[in-house]
Amino acid sequence: MIRLRDVTYFYPRATTPALADVTLEIPAGQFCAVIGANGAGKSTLCYTLAGFVPHFYRGKLSGGVEVAGVDVPASSLAKLAGHVGLVFANPFNQITGARFSVREEIAFGLENMGVPLDEMEARVEDILGFAGLRDLAERSPFALSGGQQQRLAIASVLVMRPPVIVLDEPTSQLDPIGSKEVFAVLRDLAATDAATVVLAEQKLEWVAVFADRVLVLHEGRIVADGLPGDVLASADLTQYGLQPTRYTQVARAAQAAGFRADRHDLPVTLEEAVEFFR
Amino acid sequence: MSTSFSLYIPRESGMHRLHPLTKLALVAFCLVLGLFLPGVWLTYLVFLLIIVPLAAWAGVLPPFLRAAFKTALPVVISVFLVQGLFWPGGTPILHLGPLSLKQEGLQFAIRSAGRFITVVSSFLLLTFTTRPDGLMLALSQRGFPNSIAYIMLATMQIVPRFQAKANTILDAQRSRGLETEGNLLVRLRALLPLVQPLLLGSIVDIEERAIALEVRAFGRQGPKTSLLVLRDTPAQRVLRWLLLLGMLAVIGWRLYLAIAPRLAA
Repeated sequence: MIRLRDVTYFYPRATTPALADVTLEIPAGQFCAVIGANGAGKSTLCYTLAGFVPHFYRGKLSGGVEVAGVDVPASSLAKLAGHVGLVFANPFNQITGARFSVREEIAFGLENMGVPLDEMEARVEDILGFAGLRDLAERSPFALSGGQQQRLAIASVLVMRPPVIVLDEPTSQLDPIGSKEVFAVLRDLAATDAATVVLAEQKLEWVAVFADRVLVLHEGRIVADGLPGDVLASADLTQYGLQPTRYTQVARAAQAAGFRADRHDLPVTLEEAVEFFR
Repeated sequence: MSTSFSLYIPRESGMHRLHPLTKLALVAFCLVLGLFLPGVWLTYLVFLLIIVPLAAWAGVLPPFLRAAFKTALPVVISVFLVQGLFWPGGTPILHLGPLSLKQEGLQFAIRSAGRFITVVSSFLLLTFTTRPDGLMLALSQRGFPNSIAYIMLATMQIVPRFQAKANTILDAQRSRGLETEGNLLVRLRALLPLVQPLLLGSIVDIEERAIALEVRAFGRQGPKTSLLVLRDTPAQRVLRWLLLLGMLAVIGWRLYLAIAPRLAA
């Protein structure tokens, strides 16, 4: 579903690559989290999957990028819309400004794709329920909280039913309540298997709960790739500028003090931590 | 805080239910009448007999009259003062100390004020009773460029946000000791630390919004559909043509009045 082969990318005028020799295959329906410190290349990877690298940011891209059966560098943004959905950090900037209610804002993408009215109405209603926005459907998109706006941004992309959805740190500008609301939607999305999801995220405790797979990016390279339990509990995490979850940290401290020193599978979620300390 | 610059007042009225192009034609008709009708008083009849009844039909009469009054009053007063008192030559009808009220000036002022009131009130009527997105949709369906329709709609909603952001930056700079009150020089100097973060921030915002629009297939070629459905009727189509003919007739009549004396001579 997503196939990257030896992808190296330089932003215009950059001397170091933002992505270096990235080779990656993500099968259909997988929920793949991408973690890494600031500047590790998470956003660039997201933009590459959605085609904004190279079609929007220009720069120099080499290697092969294939997403949902489309050769991304050879395609165009207009053609990619509907194949790949992108959600990014700032909720306010994802609101088009051309629509006056939440319902119409969600429909904007379908209008541009020329979806017939009755199908459009059904799909918008469906998504309003999925994203928990039904009570806000008639409100102005600008009169929502950050968490609500971000759920609106996700709904606006989901309603177009792209086979691949890319989210670039969707909760980094939200307060804890807003983040929780957005993660609840993402967890439901992970449960449906309707789309392949790539989520760049710093909040590892959430990643641990619902990702099928975790990739670690460091200086534009993939340095770890595996199941959340293995990658997130690995001792290498700190050398990539990442802080393990508090569950892993507590367990490691307990091990250093001699508690369960024989255990190698350190917990990454609350449930695992409870089991570890029982 | 208001979320939009739109003056639209939602109501369940016949006027509101008219197709946006019908309302646009009505307003254009009033505009043409206001600008081209000869004489001093006819434009006031347009206001009283067409625009005001339409506003009443739409159920927005009180806010409409308030807005029309507030917009027109300063201009009307200054036109009467300047033209009435300072008309060169003319027939004085009232002496006020060293000044005198001239009959020709007064007539000119009454005529200009009537035109101004008609123009302002017809635009207000359109904006009070027409959803901006409905109007833009109607225009786009007739071949008006989508990108320009987008800019007009987005401006209405994003400029108030822009103002809010400017205020936040101003407060932030003030809390760091920036002087924003005082003489002109102080105020000008205070603009710099405001403009720079606002502009840089806005460039980032625009870039991200451009990306968001591409994701939503805004750049896609081909036919678009719309969740908003505009209702049109054969009667309204006929009315629009009649209004167009009416406009041409008024303009033609006015041209004839202007040319006729010269033809006779």
